[in-house]
Amino acid sequence: MNKENSFFVGWKDDMPKANRSLLIKFIVVLFISIPLLTFLIVKSQKPFNNHIFEFGNVKEFTGIYHADPVPILEVTDNKIPEGFSNYVLLVGFGKFGAEGIISNIEKSSGPLNGLKVTLQGTLIYGDGRYLMELTKKEDSLIKIFDEPTVANTHLYDRKKDGYSGEILDPKCYFGVMKPGEGKIHKSCAIRCISGGIPPVFRANIENGQYEYFLLLGPNGEKINKAILNDVAELVTIDGETSIINGWPVLYANPSDIIRINKKSYYAQD
Amino acid sequence: MSVNYSPVLWNKQKKLYDLILWIGILFMAVTFIIFQVLFHKDITLQTLIIRTTAIIAFFLLHIILIIGPLCRIDKRFLPLLYNRRHLGVSMFLVALIHGGMAIVQFHTLGDTNPIASIFTANSNYLAISDFPFQVLGFLALIILFLMAITSHDFWLKNLSPAIWKGLHMCVYLAYTLIVIHVATGALQYEDNPIYWTLLVLGVITITGLHLYTGIIETRKLSLPHTLEKEGYYKVCSLEEIDDQCGKSVFINGENIAIFKYDGNVSAVHNVCKHQMGPIGEGKIIDGCITCPWHGYQYLPDNGQSPPPFNEKLKTYRTSVLDGSIWVHPLPLEEGSFIEPTKIPQS
Repeated sequence: MNKENSFFVGWKDDMPKANRSLLIKFIVVLFISIPLLTFLIVKSQKPFNNHIFEFGNVKEFTGIYHADPVPILEVTDNKIPEGFSNYVLLVGFGKFGAEGIISNIEKSSGPLNGLKVTLQGTLIYGDGRYLMELTKKEDSLIKIFDEPTVANTHLYDRKKDGYSGEILDPKCYFGVMKPGEGKIHKSCAIRCISGGIPPVFRANIENGQYEYFLLLGPNGEKINKAILNDVAELVTIDGETSIINGWPVLYANPSDIIRINKKSYYAQD
Repeated sequence: MSVNYSPVLWNKQKKLYDLILWIGILFMAVTFIIFQVLFHKDITLQTLIIRTTAIIAFFLLHIILIIGPLCRIDKRFLPLLYNRRHLGVSMFLVALIHGGMAIVQFHTLGDTNPIASIFTANSNYLAISDFPFQVLGFLALIILFLMAITSHDFWLKNLSPAIWKGLHMCVYLAYTLIVIHVATGALQYEDNPIYWTLLVLGVITITGLHLYTGIIETRKLSLPHTLEKEGYYKVCSLEEIDDQCGKSVFINGENIAIFKYDGNVSAVHNVCKHQMGPIGEGKIIDGCITCPWHGYQYLPDNGQSPPPFNEKLKTYRTSVLDGSIWVHPLPLEEGSFIEPTKIPQS
């Protein structure tokens, strides 16, 4: 290298030819490597699910409101497409459950449990399940119908069962976030479940098929705070299963949630 | 060099540097977004922003960290170093979008203060794979923020070069935090081995280049200078230094830059007052020693920057005997004049 010809002084207008020649090569190599690198990174990514969050699009649904064990609207106006359950899980705005909003609505309207109502909100859906965010908060209630009410939730017998899978916050998983699962989403899922969004256990049934269970304590109580540490982790849960208001439910003691590693999880697949 | 502080002293080189830098950033963003939309049409806008900015910032950080060693290996890379802080500030701005978007996405609109949530949502601090990786990214962002806001020479002058340099050396801490942030975050979700391969390759490149240049530098500087007469040490022959150029030597704990110019030999301290650049790798331009990093200048006979500047270097006595250069490693006060040693006409 000829030092005479390659000494660069930044405050001078001209760059020595030797520097310019090397730097052009360096920049060309960088510009060639950028698309190759981005292609490699993107192509190697895990695919995203096709779940949808209809952000900015508020819709109205009419049906029977069920308060227990978690807020659900049993849609009766045939607006739910085929292949999806018409039991729509209600969630609040942001990282909160719907109970706070419903509670505020009930202060003026009276108890809603079992009543036919029209609610407005933003739809979240995927893999056969619908959720509705009560985006308009206390203005989410459009109408209460003066019709005979359904007093009881639909209950089925419990049976002992156990699955492996992941505890998710359903709002993000079913469409608000991509991905709404796994380690990178863990903090958000903890915030959502801590804020009252019902935890959902995505059980690995077989051949990549999932069943989604609302996760409750042994007596049907909420266990949101007790399971935060195991959210977004691969776990096995032994408990009792049933179906309430169209949603499978897994009743389990938080102490029966056991962490497993990826190897044993996929071995069970 | 400038007496007064301006936000940026634009010149042709800096404008060209920033133009190429931002074309590169936009090019990377566009290619990444196009591939995402082509191969992952279900991606959300928020995730697209988070991932695009993550990739660009991490890539830029690697470029920033290899510039130093590349310049040690080949001086022709020095123009990359000249405006490196623009590269650093640009990288921080991209990283800020990534961090800000991630905080908004994952921690706002919840039951806890978003900043507190970063530290408390996942509290498995004793775990490895389950470690709260966002904390590491947040801490790295704080370091990058401090570096970005103190990047101007105003802060270099007021904090002192040693403290400023110490603060900016924290880029290595930030890099370490980000590597672990990626390893315990994204790489716990994405299971394609290509990601681990790329991460490890990046770390090996950065550490390998630094180790290689460090070893070379240490070997160069630790060459023993044992031949001593009346306190003077023999450092090299006259032919070893090109005219108007310098040489760095390390004798008795003193880092010394020796220059040969216009039939004279002079020696000054080898650490630039600006950003502690290696003066000995500079050159005499317009009668002044010119630092290779940012062009700071000093007179060779007294180590003083020419008026109106006031930077001063320690000076050392030299001698020329039998075609060899000798230097006395006892420094004189900064800015002390020493008559240059005349090179005998052969």
